[in-house]
Amino acid sequence: MDDIFTQVREGNAFNVRVWLDNTENDLNKGDDHRFSLLHWAAREGRDNIVDMLIKRGARINATNMGDDTPIHLAAAHGHRDVTLMLLHNKANVNAINEHGNTPLHYACFWGYDQIAEDLVNNGALVSVANKCDDVPLDKCKPYMAKMLKDRAIALGQDLSKIPFKDRSWLGYKTRSRDAVLSRYTGIDIKELQLVGHIAKTHSGETWRGSWQGNDIVAKILSMAVVTDRNIRDFKEEFPKLRIFNHPNVLAVLGCCAPKDPPDLVVISQFMPFGSLFNTLHGESGIVVDQNQALRFAIDIARGMEFLHSMEPMIPNFILTSKHVMIDEDLAKINVDDPKYTSGDATLNGVTCLCTVLIPLILGAPVVSSTKSIHSGHPIPQSDPVIDEDLTAKINMADYRFSFHEKGKLFSPAWCSPEALQKSPGDINVRASDMWSFAILLWELETREVPFAELEAMEIGMKVALEGLRLSIPPGISSHMSRLMRICMNEEPGKRPRFDMVIPILEKMKLSG
Amino acid sequence: MGQMSQWGSSKFSNAPLCPPSTKLSELQEEGKNAIESPTSPTLPDIGPEGYQLAENEERSMIEPSSRENPKLIELVQILLDWINDELADHRIIVKDIEEDLFDGQILQKLIEKLCKVRVEAMEVTQSEIGQKQKLRVVLDYINHILGVPPLWSQHKWSVDSVHSKNLVAILHLLVALARHFDAPIRLPENVVVTLLVIQKVDNTLVTRTVPEEITGGHDDIDGRGERDAFDTLFDHAPDKLNVVKKTLLTFVNKHLMKLNLEVTDLDNQFHDGVFLIMLMGLLEGYFTPLYQFHVTPTTHEHRVHNVKFAFQLMEDAELARPKARPEDIVHQDLKSTLRVLYHIFTKYKSGPGSQGIPM
Repeated sequence: MDDIFTQVREGNAFNVRVWLDNTENDLNKGDDHRFSLLHWAAREGRDNIVDMLIKRGARINATNMGDDTPIHLAAAHGHRDVTLMLLHNKANVNAINEHGNTPLHYACFWGYDQIAEDLVNNGALVSVANKCDDVPLDKCKPYMAKMLKDRAIALGQDLSKIPFKDRSWLGYKTRSRDAVLSRYTGIDIKELQLVGHIAKTHSGETWRGSWQGNDIVAKILSMAVVTDRNIRDFKEEFPKLRIFNHPNVLAVLGCCAPKDPPDLVVISQFMPFGSLFNTLHGESGIVVDQNQALRFAIDIARGMEFLHSMEPMIPNFILTSKHVMIDEDLAKINVDDPKYTSGDATLNGVTCLCTVLIPLILGAPVVSSTKSIHSGHPIPQSDPVIDEDLTAKINMADYRFSFHEKGKLFSPAWCSPEALQKSPGDINVRASDMWSFAILLWELETREVPFAELEAMEIGMKVALEGLRLSIPPGISSHMSRLMRICMNEEPGKRPRFDMVIPILEKMKLSG
Repeated sequence: MGQMSQWGSSKFSNAPLCPPSTKLSELQEEGKNAIESPTSPTLPDIGPEGYQLAENEERSMIEPSSRENPKLIELVQILLDWINDELADHRIIVKDIEEDLFDGQILQKLIEKLCKVRVEAMEVTQSEIGQKQKLRVVLDYINHILGVPPLWSQHKWSVDSVHSKNLVAILHLLVALARHFDAPIRLPENVVVTLLVIQKVDNTLVTRTVPEEITGGHDDIDGRGERDAFDTLFDHAPDKLNVVKKTLLTFVNKHLMKLNLEVTDLDNQFHDGVFLIMLMGLLEGYFTPLYQFHVTPTTHEHRVHNVKFAFQLMEDAELARPKARPEDIVHQDLKSTLRVLYHIFTKYKSGPGSQGIPM
């Protein structure tokens, strides 16, 4: 097969689909100039492939080395359908490339009147100056300029010129992923610059480091001794954890088994927010509102649905909030969002995020007023619903290797009663995962640690043998508590599948 | 050969009287021998007269009745269990101490595991010369580790004696290894076998019997050389013993209480392993899924399985390997039980105010 970028350019939808179905392929990887697949599909106007990529979680606002986003390319090449599709999926309509040009600059310059109009209707500013101090209106034919100007005024735009501001430093955040991430399996421990010790838990020690310029986390499995057989099993098991093709699954990048001293090391991307458990119960400073909580639930359900669709399924993965990582929703990162202009370039303005979300928790109406203030120019928004900024990913690095922690369960609170009693071979693992999901829903709703006051052994014995169950406190919506009950059905066969749960959650989110 | 065929025919004439299973296993045995015979050194049991001995040369073998010695059988079984335990990770199972060790392959794996090293010896080979060369490398390494003088080891175990599947040589070797590495097994004391020594004197074969000591008496308490505090306690301070028991009981109950469990008697409430497993889970912060052990053990095997599992959990928690064998706990051996609990106690007795153990 030709390389995937060629396939996308030429519009071979079938081959692209096959490629995307391979778990080891990373759909957000970039080519030598950091054009992502979506860049190429947008540039060539491959509507069906653009659609496919978006559905699978491609990053809408990824930038290439020239800081073009896919919508820049679609607008510049006159692909109206693609432009609309991208706008519909929250593409940043005022994204600026290295020349200071917005998509509207290009649509105007190349005379794609229709596209220029669509862009303005979707909030594109007609008075953003590029590096040469030209605004989009300077680029188009007079009749067109007048038309767009009138439309902008009708929409309430302030027409005074917005000067060019160099924001190329933002590029590092939005650029397409380095393709090497998904290319290597075996990594030499010497290549990892392990610097910061993050944590030591029962399952291993985690270190922060960097590899080929990427922030990574290396988890050194806790092992009393590492035998040759362990190493063999380890090398056999880890490749299936390299799942790059689903937005809600966090892949293991690679592994290494250094000989001296003998260790087993699992490497994955660094997630500054940590786990969902940490986000909900730790001192993360992140406020998770109802909407964001539902979004997490949907993300997790999607990730699990994907894992459940694999044949054979990956065994030994226990779904708990500790095994779900929180990430910025890179697919939706929008550098024009005020939180990215607040000067704090390193941590994407978590504080800003909180100021947006706190009123929501307190019951203020959902209006995205904060978002629309941009350098004093109110931007008319077509979609007034706040988009969540964080996404949840099932962390494959928390897979339990077959030889690891044998005979022990450190988080029995999330396990179904049957999983506490019988071996995975003797139960319906998918149904058992659904029980774990119900516990996660409970956790997201109550913001409490399940069975917080009990020790693992007590939880296990009491849930398995004495019928101990979580109680659903009052104050939780009737829809949600009904869903939890269904997912926590005592009869494993009566629990729903993830593909049945996702639409219910989506509906709740829309109506909430 | 006439004798052989006579044996053969009598076996078949007896056939109807044999239970079918016996016949089957004999047949299997015969088939196995047929398959393996080209690779194993030829040592048919042809009796003393089969040996070609030079003048004054002597050979020795175990007197057949000595093989039935229950202590010897126990020793062999314990050593086998130990080897199999050590090599479990390699998926190696040794069934027969004489048939499985002679070519040096298993011995190599064993010493590699015990010393955590790699011994550079050639791969498995079918030829006798190759096997002996490999065995030479492995035994040289073992002798080096054990620090035994070459002459002495030559006498106890040599390449030739091990390769010819000499049980006595193999036992000497394994016992020495088990002692050196503090194997968590208890070797039976005073295992002595009778050797039949044949010597050619003036062209006639003279036989005599000699006792050969495999394990001695005094130095085999608990499978290792030194006595510990518990031995002293049991022998000399029975009054203090009760204080120790009480301290351990308090410690154990402090934790088991969380599961609404209570121990009243250390002597006979730990032998099925369940409380040990619960205790480890409580102390280390995990739950042990119920399919990993027998919650309500009913047979001896269940109890041994449980105690073994508990031992594994202790090892994972980096507790010193219990000196006791799982069987000792199952047999309600108080000294062994107390030793195991004391190990746990020393690691987890925490915080100020907790009572030290007066020993």
